[in-house]
Amino acid sequence: MPVVRRNILTDAVARDDYVRGVGLLKQGNSPYTTTQLGIPGPAAPVRTYDLFVVWHGRTMMTPIPPGGNPQVRNAAHRGPIFLPWHRVMLGFLEQNLQRVLNKPGFALPYWDWSADGDLGSPTNAQIFTPAYLGGDGDPVSDGPFAFHAADPATFTVRIEAAGPGGMTLRQTSRGLRRAFAQPPPFGWLTLPTGAEVKDALAFTPPAGGNPVDRYDTLAFDASSEGFRDRLEGWIPKDPARPVHLHNQVHVWIGGDMGPSTSPNDPVFYLHHCNVDRIWEGWLNRYGRIYAPDMTAPAGTYKGERIDDPIASPLGASATPRSVLDVSAIYTYDVLP
Amino acid sequence: MDPTSNPTIDPTKLKAAAEPGAFGGYLAALPHPPMGHDHGPMKSVRTAEYQGHRISITTTYEITVDGKPLMAGLDVDDSGMLSCHGLPAYQFVSAVDAVRVLIHNYPDYFGGGG
Repeated sequence: MPVVRRNILTDAVARDDYVRGVGLLKQGNSPYTTTQLGIPGPAAPVRTYDLFVVWHGRTMMTPIPPGGNPQVRNAAHRGPIFLPWHRVMLGFLEQNLQRVLNKPGFALPYWDWSADGDLGSPTNAQIFTPAYLGGDGDPVSDGPFAFHAADPATFTVRIEAAGPGGMTLRQTSRGLRRAFAQPPPFGWLTLPTGAEVKDALAFTPPAGGNPVDRYDTLAFDASSEGFRDRLEGWIPKDPARPVHLHNQVHVWIGGDMGPSTSPNDPVFYLHHCNVDRIWEGWLNRYGRIYAPDMTAPAGTYKGERIDDPIASPLGASATPRSVLDVSAIYTYDVLP
Repeated sequence: MDPTSNPTIDPTKLKAAAEPGAFGGYLAALPHPPMGHDHGPMKSVRTAEYQGHRISITTTYEITVDGKPLMAGLDVDDSGMLSCHGLPAYQFVSAVDAVRVLIHNYPDYFGGGG
């Protein structure tokens, strides 16, 4: 029976379950230690929540194609695999929340950031009030993810990017960081608007091309034309406006949403659930299509073609094709 | 793959793979990055063709902060915009801006300025 993902602002039960479930995943040790996961320093248990932080950071270091430059394209970002990979990641979190909550009907809620963009991007938006995710700060000091140094159960960031190279992780013990609406280049002053989401959804490739050109096109990277690159937020390339949609939300929130370890902030999942909802709206509108197909040369595109394995514990059984229709697992209350 | 077969992800497999033991096992089996390794100066190679001519532009940023080489790869794309792995959702029009923002986001790494 598929679960229905809903807007966190209209579903207090989902909100409370999400906050409680994240807390449980943050407290629960996985069977693995930092040493076993290749993170320097003394061996420490890795909390189940932090497995997701490691997964995101390590996948960002995994180049597409193998042997390539992960900064140009990696197994989760800067190419067509961006949407399928994050869909699988959200599925993994949702499964873990259902498990720790003992609630198989739990559905991950989403944060429709464009609604706040339409309201002028208030830094005191409802989602960032103490009853929801709390506000900004270093550390965040209100709401369920505030840091209280004397409380051993407080929300603690334990794994972070080791430095500006972004290629290695390290252990830490500190509170969550957010810095809303910093001026550029340090951040961005506004959230995306509903009109900008509509523009991305309405993108139409030049007549006479392949229908899948609507999703993505050569060279399938951060410069390629298509819906995916618009939603990920790399295009339009505009020096006066370097960030869009998905990227813009990361940059607007700032703090821990900046580095490769951005899943440290629980807002990451609510943000990506909305990104996934927008993709689902696109799939619903234009058909369950994807590019590139398997005729794209493996030497350049292996790891992001339609039947290539997604970088995940599911191995070869999870491919972009396998996540184009997830209606057996979840649906959304409203599609854009 | 036969596109007429049912390719949809299997909810049972998803549930099993998401168990912390299986999930952590996957991460533990990944090749570990060399400890302390980060980018040195990286080359960006941009290629294009124009009127039958083949264009290749190689760009390398060699950056120091307080006299020390900055181990952060900056990459420039065909549009001339910069990205860096340390802040993967950002895009910059200036390398100086990129380094300023890295210093802002990694204060422990850079320490106090002079």
